[in-house]
Amino acid sequence: MRLNEITKDGKYRVTKVNSDNESIARLMAMGLLPGQEIRLTHEAPLGDPIAVQFEGCHMSLRLEDAAEVEVERAE
Amino acid sequence: MSVQAAQLRIALIGNPNTGKTSLFNALTGLRQRVGNYPGVTVEKKIGTWALDRDTDVQLIDLPGTYSLSATSLDERIAVDVLAGRVDGLPAPDLVVVVVDVENLQRNLFLASQAAELGVPMVIALNCWDIAEKKGLQIDCKLLEQRLGVPVLPTVATRSRGTDDLAAAVIKAIKTRPMMVRPKWPEAVQKAMQSLREELVEKRGESLQTGELQRLIFDRKSAVQDRLKTPASEYATILADVRKKLYDDGYNPDAAESILRFRFLNPLLSDIIQRQVAMKKRSRTESIDQLLLHRFWGLVVFVGMMYVVFQSVYTWAGPLMDLIESLVGVAQGFASNFLSQTPVLQSLVVDGIIGGVGAFLVFLPQILVLFLFISILEESGYMARAAFLMDKLFKWCGLNGKSFVPLLSSYACAIPGILATRTINDPKARMITILIAPLMSCSARLPVYLLLIGAFVEPRYGPAVAGTTLFAMHFVGAILAAPLAWLLNKALNKGRKPLPFLMELPPYRAPRLKTMLWRMFESGKDFVIRAGTVIFAMTVLIWALLYFPRSESVSTETTEAYIASIENVSAIDELDDTQFQRLEQKIDAAYLEQSYMGRFGKMVQPIFAPAGYDWKITVGVLASFPAREVIISTLGITYALGGEVDEESSDLRDTLSQAKWESGPHAGQAVFNMPVALSIMVFFALCMQCGATVAVIAQELSWKWAITSFFTLTTIAWIAAVVTYQVAMLFA
Repeated sequence: MRLNEITKDGKYRVTKVNSDNESIARLMAMGLLPGQEIRLTHEAPLGDPIAVQFEGCHMSLRLEDAAEVEVERAE
Repeated sequence: MSVQAAQLRIALIGNPNTGKTSLFNALTGLRQRVGNYPGVTVEKKIGTWALDRDTDVQLIDLPGTYSLSATSLDERIAVDVLAGRVDGLPAPDLVVVVVDVENLQRNLFLASQAAELGVPMVIALNCWDIAEKKGLQIDCKLLEQRLGVPVLPTVATRSRGTDDLAAAVIKAIKTRPMMVRPKWPEAVQKAMQSLREELVEKRGESLQTGELQRLIFDRKSAVQDRLKTPASEYATILADVRKKLYDDGYNPDAAESILRFRFLNPLLSDIIQRQVAMKKRSRTESIDQLLLHRFWGLVVFVGMMYVVFQSVYTWAGPLMDLIESLVGVAQGFASNFLSQTPVLQSLVVDGIIGGVGAFLVFLPQILVLFLFISILEESGYMARAAFLMDKLFKWCGLNGKSFVPLLSSYACAIPGILATRTINDPKARMITILIAPLMSCSARLPVYLLLIGAFVEPRYGPAVAGTTLFAMHFVGAILAAPLAWLLNKALNKGRKPLPFLMELPPYRAPRLKTMLWRMFESGKDFVIRAGTVIFAMTVLIWALLYFPRSESVSTETTEAYIASIENVSAIDELDDTQFQRLEQKIDAAYLEQSYMGRFGKMVQPIFAPAGYDWKITVGVLASFPAREVIISTLGITYALGGEVDEESSDLRDTLSQAKWESGPHAGQAVFNMPVALSIMVFFALCMQCGATVAVIAQELSWKWAITSFFTLTTIAWIAAVVTYQVAMLFA
């Protein structure tokens, strides 16, 4: 499952990140690394971008970048 | 202030939204100056910080960044300043890292990267009050021990903790504390060693450990641009080193984040104690439930933008009227005072006082807009607005942050362009600046009202007139979209655009002091940098409209006029109305004889395909400094005096009765529907605004200002010709 596919119900855990993507490389420097828990907080009215929360960060990112992060359901 | 202390330089770095700028302002007060770093549009803010009564140091406020990966301009400047690579700015003696208490881990990542550049460090734990309110307790002493550098709690917004910070800095300048660095695995150390051998030892590059790391870990580090080694050569060296690291089991793109956090996390264990259990949902989250709601969020957004737009469009009005009437009073006074010397009178009244008024009149809009922008930014809403709007702008290389500047440009492009400072992506900012002048600003309204009132309304009625006026407001925007798309293609040239990542910071109450400061800064900047240019342009255009001023023009016009009136043989036999009429005719004759008038007649053939006669051409040319000038220029050329406005029925009647004096159309009406439409289209697209040109030069460069001026003028001309020719087919 990828980060662009997650829904608001429940927590997810990052399993793999594509550090080739510059957005993702930046998110990694903020702590978005494998093992990190993450959840979807909001979707923009037109569906893109999305807002996610992990650690202390509340970040907005575009769907195409979110697709570069693999996640699994936590709990 | 001792001489030696004055040379001390301290850099201030930190993540965005940590209150770094508030701390900078709290430490330096009004003693700061703003410029640009050489060759780039990154703001360079340097202030003077009085550490104690007799120690002043230079404080450099670096752009807010999450990391030093040096792929964006902001990050590059941060690395360059810390490593002492900027001309005129040797490496700082100390760096103060501003850290948000609530996000220790992420914030210390930046500190840890900075530590690799070998600069002594002091950490300011900011937003201490918010953390206390939330029941967070942080063991500063323990953190200090583990990091090896002084850690001081501060509340920048209330200037709390600044004395202790200053004391710690004074001490640290002597003791030079360095933050602990990770012990890199052997593979990384080997990579650094072989890069040092290749670049530093063999090729004589001057690179510190921290910079070597940037070259290894960052795929396209800006540090590369600084190397003297040819690109083909260092590209191979870097590729080899990175390949080796990859083969050793460390993906160079991911290694730094993983290793650094692995190093930092244990240092932070037991540092934070939560006294109160975290509430299920924070205040920010509750507010976001409404403001980022897919439907209600938009409703609130539209409401807020309406307020912002109205405030710039309407509420700045009384202030602008006040400035205009004060300028009028000054002109009246100067006019009386200098009535004996007509040249000086005209220079002072129309040139100098008019020129000062020409830029002062923008100040209310700038100040009002920046009041709102500082509220939107400080409160944290600006990021939400960009989040809501992003998709609308994404396809042409812009992002959601372009919305507020472009909306403001509908009132006036000047504050709109200044507002693009809120866009961090330099390319998106540049495109937004370049298309902002196409938004239909309020100065175009008089032109639309005059022409629609004179030609559309009498023939088609108020409904069509209203629709035309509405449609005119979108002509520029319709062109702006493909233009932005093209600019994006041209500026990219294979480079990938900066990613659109945005933090949605916690909501905070905006503070009056910061709002006033932002207003003051933007106003001062505009007056000093753009104001002088606008002033010079106004004086120049005045001269072109005034000179040459030969007496014979006045005498000949007077003689001709007297001859044309029955029963009058001398000037003193004219009644008041006739005398006023004569004065208007003299003004018209002078304008026709002026350099601008002659130039207009000369270039009229260029505008002939758009249906313009020489009078319209002169009107168009004279309104390049400010488009609303067309009304008074038409008033003068048609001998009605310069005081006419767009509602003036005299002007409307005169225009609809004007006939071609000669040429193929001799005897036909100059103004018909196609000409009226063609003029409106020209005014909708052309950058007839000296102030906009000056502000683009201020924000980008003269090269861009001049390029966009000529591009938009050409586009406007083409569109006007097409409009006229097509409309003539139907007329």
